[in-house]
Amino acid sequence: MKSVRNLYVIVTSVVAGSLFAEGLARWYYSGAEGGLRFAGYVFVWPVCYFAAAVGVILLGWYWLRLTGRITSIIKELKADKTSRIKSGGSKIVNELSEAINDRFDDNSGYIAELEKQIKDLQIQIRLSQGQKRNAEAIVYSIRDAVIVIDEFDKLLMANEAAGKLFDFDYKSSQYKPISELVGGEKTKAGENGFVDFLCQSRQSKARHTRREIVFSNESKSGIFDCIISCVYGEGERVCGVVAVLHDITREKEISQMKNDFVNHVSHELKTPLASISAYSEMLVDGEADDEQTRKEFYSVIQSQAKRLNRLIEDILNTSRIESGLIKVEKGPVSLTILIEEQLQMIRSYAEEKNIEIIGQKPIVFDQVYADKDMISQVIVNLLSNAVKYTPCGGSIKIETEVDEIAGLARVSITDTGVGIPEDEIEHVFDKFYRVGANKKQAEGTGLGLNLVKQIVEKAHNGRVFVTSEPGVGSTFGFELPLATAEAVKM
Amino acid sequence: MAERKVLVADDEIHIVHVVTIKLRNNGYEVISAENGADAFALACEEKPDIIVTDFQMPGMTGVELVRKLRQNETTKDIPVIMLTARGFAVEDKEKEELEISELLSKPFSPKELLRSIEDILYQRAVMRNK
Repeated sequence: MKSVRNLYVIVTSVVAGSLFAEGLARWYYSGAEGGLRFAGYVFVWPVCYFAAAVGVILLGWYWLRLTGRITSIIKELKADKTSRIKSGGSKIVNELSEAINDRFDDNSGYIAELEKQIKDLQIQIRLSQGQKRNAEAIVYSIRDAVIVIDEFDKLLMANEAAGKLFDFDYKSSQYKPISELVGGEKTKAGENGFVDFLCQSRQSKARHTRREIVFSNESKSGIFDCIISCVYGEGERVCGVVAVLHDITREKEISQMKNDFVNHVSHELKTPLASISAYSEMLVDGEADDEQTRKEFYSVIQSQAKRLNRLIEDILNTSRIESGLIKVEKGPVSLTILIEEQLQMIRSYAEEKNIEIIGQKPIVFDQVYADKDMISQVIVNLLSNAVKYTPCGGSIKIETEVDEIAGLARVSITDTGVGIPEDEIEHVFDKFYRVGANKKQAEGTGLGLNLVKQIVEKAHNGRVFVTSEPGVGSTFGFELPLATAEAVKM
Repeated sequence: MAERKVLVADDEIHIVHVVTIKLRNNGYEVISAENGADAFALACEEKPDIIVTDFQMPGMTGVELVRKLRQNETTKDIPVIMLTARGFAVEDKEKEELEISELLSKPFSPKELLRSIEDILYQRAVMRNK
């Protein structure tokens, strides 16, 4: 600044000095005479004006140079906010540049600190976004339906299972009122109950509440175990509610099946017991008048006692196989030999009814990897059923096939019996199921075919099959894996 | 006094047999059926004084049989005793609605069944004479 001031002082002094000199010269020479006066006007004036003009030009030039340099500094500052200003030009400009650079240097530490903080914040944002995505991924991956609502009963989060259950788009339904998504116009039975339960749980502020909710709808039906947990904010304020709906339809079905089974078993056991009890009471009370009637009563008691025992054995066998408690001792077994053995047992029974048994063709290799006793039980059950339900004079055909490509042996037993109505055929392997129309034909526990299915499918990874035509006959059979080298090694 | 007629319906032939002998020994005429449909037809035809039916029978259950009997003019007043091997198979409300006189659970005593039949028929006779 000093140089500017000096320059200003010099220039203004030159201009002022020139003008003063001109005035002085005018005054001095105004009294002069002739040539001197002329010379004074001619020489002093131009010199003074020249000096003044030079001073003004210098001032102008300096002004232009200064503003030019300042403009370039402004441009530099605008173009690059981070680098220092280049020095150069006049002293004053250098001083200005240095002053700016000093300020810049002072601020650069602060700026760097700010930049670091921004970077940290960006990392934190990315981390929390990742955590949010992870949390969402966890909720989305849960198989149970999960619904999270806020304190105003608006949806915060739901997973795919919830979307499917309540039929809404779980990804684009955030902040929608829960009553709009669940229930409302498209109310399904159970849904309104769920919304009410959700709102009640939030209002009650209870940490956890639990209820069974039944959905009955064409597309979705089932029983759900619904657990609702309140999310607490500051103090005791409930800021949201999490609902988890676990499908317990299958568990309920199993429990119902168990109840049905117990009911059924008790009924089946009570039936022969009723006969035993009634007949023995009649004997005790002397209601059987003659020896023949007494004998008849004794034989009924005996046969019903046997039936009771058979039932208990069948129930135990079935449940042992079902629970996996029974030991399956597998080994290579020839089906032809097993069938032959069981035929010996059944033949006399078949002869009584004059039933012809058409045996199998000899098979070269029909060894299966199986438990011999169990498969004997399967064969005897199927053969005795065939004899039981075939009228006198009928026939039973036994066929064994080996499918080496599929690696299995197939046994089919075809009878010319009473057959099974079409609507009942799918139930013949069910526990205690007996074809209504055929009940009179023979006694049975309703467990024999179920045992066959359990042994073949559960214990041997095989398959049972049945085809039938009422009045013509039925074919029952099973497939078992062949005893290949690998299986024997196992 | 004319012989009283009892219809016994059960798919267990041994049960039908033992009840028949017990009742015949005690002066009853017994007719029997092995399923609900036959029992209904026989009830319409023979108009028995009382019916003893099993709860579980093929085709039509005992309860369905009673419902059908109650809807029919000729059979609607016939008293019914139901035998059942299933506990709680028939609810009290249903028993009342269908006017089932007695539920006997299996195993049952033929003696007790006879006593029940006699009691019910006696009460009917008293009611009729009033």
